[in-house]
Amino acid sequence: MTEHVVVVRAAAPPEARRRTHGWLALLRPWAFPFVLLGLYEAYARRAAALGSEALAPPSAALKALATAAADGSLWQATGFTLGTAAIGLLLGAVLGVSLGIALGLSRRAARLSLLSIEVLRPVPSVALIPLAMLMFGFGVRMELAIVAFATFWPMLILVQSAVQQVEPRLLEVSRVLGLSARQRAWKIVLPAVVPRLFVALRLGVAVALVVAVTVEIAANPNGMGYAMMIAQQSFDPALMLGWLGWIGGVGFVINAAMLRLQRAVARRMGAAP
Amino acid sequence: MDGTGFLRFDDVSICLGGREILSPTSFEVARGEFVCIVGPSGCGKTTLLRAASGLVKASAGAILRSGKPVAEPSREVAFVFQDYGRALLPWRSVAGNVSLALEAAGIVTADRPPRIDDVLGKVGLAKHAHKFPAQLSGGMQQRAQIARCLAQKPELMMMDEPFGALDALTRQGLQDELSRLVRDDGLTVLFVTHDLEEAIYLGDRVIALQANPGPGRPSLARMIDVRIERPRDQLTTKEHPEFLRLRRELFAFIEQGHD
Repeated sequence: MTEHVVVVRAAAPPEARRRTHGWLALLRPWAFPFVLLGLYEAYARRAAALGSEALAPPSAALKALATAAADGSLWQATGFTLGTAAIGLLLGAVLGVSLGIALGLSRRAARLSLLSIEVLRPVPSVALIPLAMLMFGFGVRMELAIVAFATFWPMLILVQSAVQQVEPRLLEVSRVLGLSARQRAWKIVLPAVVPRLFVALRLGVAVALVVAVTVEIAANPNGMGYAMMIAQQSFDPALMLGWLGWIGGVGFVINAAMLRLQRAVARRMGAAP
Repeated sequence: MDGTGFLRFDDVSICLGGREILSPTSFEVARGEFVCIVGPSGCGKTTLLRAASGLVKASAGAILRSGKPVAEPSREVAFVFQDYGRALLPWRSVAGNVSLALEAAGIVTADRPPRIDDVLGKVGLAKHAHKFPAQLSGGMQQRAQIARCLAQKPELMMMDEPFGALDALTRQGLQDELSRLVRDDGLTVLFVTHDLEEAIYLGDRVIALQANPGPGRPSLARMIDVRIERPRDQLTTKEHPEFLRLRRELFAFIEQGHD
């Protein structure tokens, strides 16, 4: 399910166009979602009035979410999922980045490992749930392992290609200046790949979040995914919908923050302003 | 100039991808000499320079520096690339870029700032030490690269069309600065250019290469000494009868090369 597709973002719209309309332009993207929510609210209220147990209006979902926030279960589950996703991503990223740099620097190592990577990479990470459950049982470690596995591959592939695309002239400069192999890695290659590394990291964050929630829905009795499942199984569509909206919101905020971070890093590392 | 040959080419030939770029070529460069290499594009002048610095291996023959064969790039040999935009680290300031050469040479942190200030002063970038390459003009970026090379304290400087991408005025300014730097520091320079006037103006000697070498057509086509006194001047030197004579001689050769 986790397809590692690299989405190349189109350049941001010209600054001028954004500025001319001011507040109106800022509000415009919200208009469509709010209209949809309004329509859904009306529809779900009618369905609820007719006795449906599958649908709940957004207002009820919001109320259920507020209750969860008040009793602390919202924060506990959110903290669990985000914490596990973060640590899993850290594991996957550290391994992926170090191996990616090694494979990017050595054509021979890249050739030798190509087959193993191409065989292992397409394994859907959720297909590892049974194996991880056998090895680690329920709980944090199982989820960590799967998140780390899922984020390892995109980090590896992206970092490897970033290293292979380091400006060849800079590598020649390091040769004529007489930099040691270690200096070359730390002073030339690593800084040169940092902007792309953050692109990879942003993708990794998205993957980590998706996989963490999926593992919780499928197996691990913890976190936001599990809370949503429980709400569904106890016929509480309002709470289930509340969780769904919350998970979407959290994902949106994290992705937006990563995008800003990535751009700030790219600027600092000498990208044209 | 001593005749011992600080840098020596002994029947050096270079083949790349099965094609002979440089046919067996021999010449010597004395310590402190400024030698310019001219020729049409594709004549192997850049390849010759890269071989002399150890970036490319010669297919046959030997390149000796101070009597020892050149195998790998060395810190005593600096290389100024034409594409300064790609040769500078965009994430380091001008001072940081210069510092890279000192870091490579294992100079301790405390000793770096005075040496950085020194070379930046020499190339006139003292006020721009904290700017990043993207904030500088092309001429200033090339100065930064030259400063980094000077920081290596090289005894030999390889320059591959360093002013080729600059506008005429900036180029003239940098030519005069380079002449002064080379004289002050007693550097030996191997300077590749496709600009005949630049070659005669800067060089003690000009080596002309021709493209498509083969039997009866060696790569090294001409070698002329430039006996025009220094310091040279953009106006009077370029009106000097000797300058005009050499220019005519080389120009005629380059014209022939295009048959």
